[in-house]
Amino acid sequence: MKKTIFLLLFVFAFAALSKAQMYYEFTLPDLDGNDVSLSKIVDKSNVVMLSFWATWCTPCKEEMKKMADIYEKYKGQGFEYVALNNDNQKSVSKVKSFITAQGYTFPVLMDSDKKVFEGYSGKDEMPYSVIINKKKEIISVHTGFKTGDDAMIESEIKAALGIK
Amino acid sequence: MKKFLFVVIFFSFALAANAQLNLNVKAALNNLLRYGSGTETVLGNANPKEYFENVTDARLSVNDIVFGMRYEIDQPIEYGVNFRGIKKRYVEYGNNNVGIDFRAGDFWQIIGRGLSMNSFEDRNQFYDTGIDGVKFSYKHTFGDKSPIKTKGMFLGGRILFNDYLVPTRVETYDIRNGNFEISPIKNLNIGANYVYSIGSVPTAFDTTAIKSYIPEGYGTLTIGNFQMFASYAHKQTNTTPNNSYPTPLVAKGDGFYSSLSYSVAKLGFTLDYKNYRFDLTAPDYRGNDRPTRMLPFQNPPTAVKEHASTLLSRYPHVVDFNDEVGGQFDVVYAPNDKVTFNLNLASASRHYDYKNIGTGALIVYQRVERSSSFIPSMDSTLSPWYEAYVEGEWYASDKLYAKIAYDYQNSVIYDNLNPVSSEKQKVSTIPTEFRYTFTKNYTLKVNFENQFVYNSSMTTKKDFMNELLSLSVSKSPNLSATVSYEWTTSNEEPTGKTAWVLGEVSYKLNTTNSVTVSYGTERGGIRCTNGICRYVRPFEGFRLTINSKF
Repeated sequence: MKKTIFLLLFVFAFAALSKAQMYYEFTLPDLDGNDVSLSKIVDKSNVVMLSFWATWCTPCKEEMKKMADIYEKYKGQGFEYVALNNDNQKSVSKVKSFITAQGYTFPVLMDSDKKVFEGYSGKDEMPYSVIINKKKEIISVHTGFKTGDDAMIESEIKAALGIK
Repeated sequence: MKKFLFVVIFFSFALAANAQLNLNVKAALNNLLRYGSGTETVLGNANPKEYFENVTDARLSVNDIVFGMRYEIDQPIEYGVNFRGIKKRYVEYGNNNVGIDFRAGDFWQIIGRGLSMNSFEDRNQFYDTGIDGVKFSYKHTFGDKSPIKTKGMFLGGRILFNDYLVPTRVETYDIRNGNFEISPIKNLNIGANYVYSIGSVPTAFDTTAIKSYIPEGYGTLTIGNFQMFASYAHKQTNTTPNNSYPTPLVAKGDGFYSSLSYSVAKLGFTLDYKNYRFDLTAPDYRGNDRPTRMLPFQNPPTAVKEHASTLLSRYPHVVDFNDEVGGQFDVVYAPNDKVTFNLNLASASRHYDYKNIGTGALIVYQRVERSSSFIPSMDSTLSPWYEAYVEGEWYASDKLYAKIAYDYQNSVIYDNLNPVSSEKQKVSTIPTEFRYTFTKNYTLKVNFENQFVYNSSMTTKKDFMNELLSLSVSKSPNLSATVSYEWTTSNEEPTGKTAWVLGEVSYKLNTTNSVTVSYGTERGGIRCTNGICRYVRPFEGFRLTINSKF
């Protein structure tokens, strides 16, 4: 028991000393099968928000609806919103029809084996999102979504874009 | 002690590397703590129940190399087998420019839609088909104007699989997997996969050694607004003779899955078809420990809708991947940005009926052939199941949201020996959700669900109702409090209760650290994830969850 407590303390102490969440480079296919690299998106943008979602996740769909408006508002100022789909084999066939029917225009990438989700320290709860700046630093992480959270996310995006 | 030293070296390396070699070193840490105390009902008896689980995931990246580990304490675990120590560890190297990806240690893998290989973990179900071994993949693109994309992957390793229904029963598989994918034109992707495994499958009195060979072919084609996917896998399992299976078995089975989706602005539909025959066998041979069944690292699509509603999720369709044919049709229609409709129709059944042709106490089953076994049947001898679901969602304004749905399910679980005692069930459910945002931060959410059930196997009351009322108040972004009240008119609940009350408060310390506390009674029932279903026991008491990211 002592060893375990000591080990946990060591791990937590290390966490306190370490930098926050890690930037994780990836190349994933979009809904049409084109490979898309994160580094290319970051190079073209000032702020990038990655949001992990699935078709069965109700708060994910609420967040996506709100983020679609925010994306339209700030995309001209260097903001990019990327939805990374974590549907597994049983529901992945519905992703394209859902996105197209909703009329969403932001990029949707397929992270079916959840490797990128794991790369950004995602656990069970969704939606899970990270905001990345031009220097490839993680400036914010969000787990879950409640009605009204979009206001906080928007203020973070505005601050990162330097909009007052 | 060795494990402890490994962890110390693991983290010390980060500090040393950062200080002396000026490498790009980053670290991330997740921690999940779960504690519960109360009573759990087992076979009608309320027993004391306490669990403590702490799962720490750490990752350390040094340039393109990532080291990862999970330290887990499950003493006692809520469901499964107790554990304390390093449960997962891996090292990974990836270079997108060269197209190389290498991982040694623990990992999960899905190929295509999982007909031959889909290893995954679900802690709630105590299901883990993680592979401990090595994986290497290489991607290369030929040409610039009309590029031909290729990808090859090889993996090898061992799976120690705890049966999620009998957690102390452990199956072992040594697997080798080769995969190749090619995309000769932009809209076409073709893949081939081959899995070879040597397994050890324990039953009550014996352990059966098996060898399995699973080739699979799959492809995706996009034409205009249509997208098609098809996959076929064949499985052959050879058993080594033992007391349980004195003569060597060569069991052959297969599975086919396809999907067709069409999408334009405002409208999208998806048609899924499944035909799983991985182990067609007579009713008396079916079982979770049968060595010739579909292997645990295979997990094809269920092709049924997964529900978010509490009452609907209590009546899931339990997919039998060894013997099931069916499909689903799903439509999403969004006439404008405020309204969305969803329609889902699904159906499934077994392929064949089996008649007992034995005399007296001797039971001998004979398969009744059916020429149309490639489509589901509504004949009760084939244990049919079908579901119709329709949902409307309306964002009335920035403040008001409403969702109303109706679901109807009809199923038969056929008893081949005594057809009169077959279980017939009809379930109608009306889930509703209303949300109103008072100010920018405060939201009230009301869920009301109404369910009418007919179940022929109930002894006293075959028709009954289930109701759920849930009130939730949230203050963005930190606080949410929920009270749920569920009641039933059934008098055959294992706990003897007819009402359950549960309160839950969740508080986010910041965007990545949260605490959730709940207290009350939980009804229990069958829970399914990815077609993996188990009975969750009724629980009464206190639960605490702390989720942290550093």
